[in-house]
Amino acid sequence: MKLALISDIHGNLEALTSVLKDVENQKVDKIHCLGDVIGYGSDPSACLKLVDQNCDIKLMGNHEYVALDLISTENYNEAAKISSDWTKNQLTEDDFSIVSSFEMKHSFQDFLLVHASPFEPEQWHYIIAPDMAFQAFSYFDEKICFFGHSHLPQIYMELEDNFPRMQAGHDFLPDKENRYLINVGSVGQPRDNDPRACYLIFDIEEYEVIYRRIAYDISLAQKKMTEKHIPEMLIDRLEVGR
Amino acid sequence: MAEIIVKYDNKVIERIVTEKKRVSIGRTRDNDIVLENRGVSRKHALIEFNNNAAVIIDNESLNGTFLNNRKINEEILRDDDIITIGKYSLVYHTESTEDNKDSSHFDGTMILKTKKQKKLLENDKIEKQIISKYGGSVLLGEENTDFSEYKIDRDVITIGKAKFVHVKAKGFWISGIQAKISKENNCFVLYNLGKKGKTLVNGEPISKYNLKNGDLITIGKSTYKFVEGNNK
Repeated sequence: MKLALISDIHGNLEALTSVLKDVENQKVDKIHCLGDVIGYGSDPSACLKLVDQNCDIKLMGNHEYVALDLISTENYNEAAKISSDWTKNQLTEDDFSIVSSFEMKHSFQDFLLVHASPFEPEQWHYIIAPDMAFQAFSYFDEKICFFGHSHLPQIYMELEDNFPRMQAGHDFLPDKENRYLINVGSVGQPRDNDPRACYLIFDIEEYEVIYRRIAYDISLAQKKMTEKHIPEMLIDRLEVGR
Repeated sequence: MAEIIVKYDNKVIERIVTEKKRVSIGRTRDNDIVLENRGVSRKHALIEFNNNAAVIIDNESLNGTFLNNRKINEEILRDDDIITIGKYSLVYHTESTEDNKDSSHFDGTMILKTKKQKKLLENDKIEKQIISKYGGSVLLGEENTDFSEYKIDRDVITIGKAKFVHVKAKGFWISGIQAKISKENNCFVLYNLGKKGKTLVNGEPISKYNLKNGDLITIGKSTYKFVEGNNK
């Protein structure tokens, strides 16, 4: 069974369609989405429909939570606030019913899927450093937890006598004896200095993790954002991947 | 301190700083540098440090260890040497350079610990586990206490000999309520209330004291350690 794990699409239809095309070529059995389909980008509605049609498991992200009025945008920066309000106005009733069907987390076999952290998933804690991963490891029992949220492809391995080891995302064969927290990266707004869309393939039988980086039409995505008066900062960051 | 930059497909994936005498490299978790991939043996190679020199030693690995593209058994390492193991390349630096251009985009540095550092870290880990278990600040029973962990889950807790106090203290020269810890402006403040005995923090008597993580509170014969949580 080969799984494609996608996350943090953020309304970027150009990135999502390029990723789905690549997924098709990779002969993947199932696609699971780890949340934040919407927010920031120009096509929230179209992205939601594509995810709904193509993905098997669909998880809630903090941007879906905001759209459903389950958390406020009080602590968001100005650009994120403007884009959240704009996004919410674009969503149809059908879109809202898709969003409200999303799960908070999903466990199967030895694996857990969650958007931000297995520790208080609805609080959207970031895992971006070994001490944060250390805390998160004590909140799940599965061998591997795949997550998103920070837009940083990263691999944490649990250690007995130290904080977890942290590596930048790369292809590898997890050791079945070890436990891992694996960030699948972001489709629509990568922040690891590589502007290409990022997703992950996990082959359960081969027990192999493969990161895919897919070039897409960034200037088209930016042009559409400009037309919709989305804050400049969100547009500029796409081409640098930061 | 020597530094090793681990790269995969020419991209930095890990930065390691070490003072250890021996650094093991291999596929299994008991190595110092773990590389989980094809072409890497369980115990693949070793770097040994001796009198300011570092030597890379291949551990009869199946696919070999390469130094600057040449297969080696044992070789002295020089600054900027590149060790290749499977699909990984490890760049060796004699001194760690904080803003190394290779790793300037990488913000996680693994520091390989000595035994003493590991012991400290182990304590830190236990405290963090306790905090994450309780989600807040905790008193740990260190000596002569009837609990090992007590969660400070209210605005005021009392300590003393009386039956109704939250935390019992042992000893003759203490009052019914000898001390209280109260939550004030997101801080925990310890007050001495008893007339009979003293309340000590890290061995010094106090009347009012803002508790800090790791403080040792002694009342009579009982000692507690204060572990600060995230105040949730």
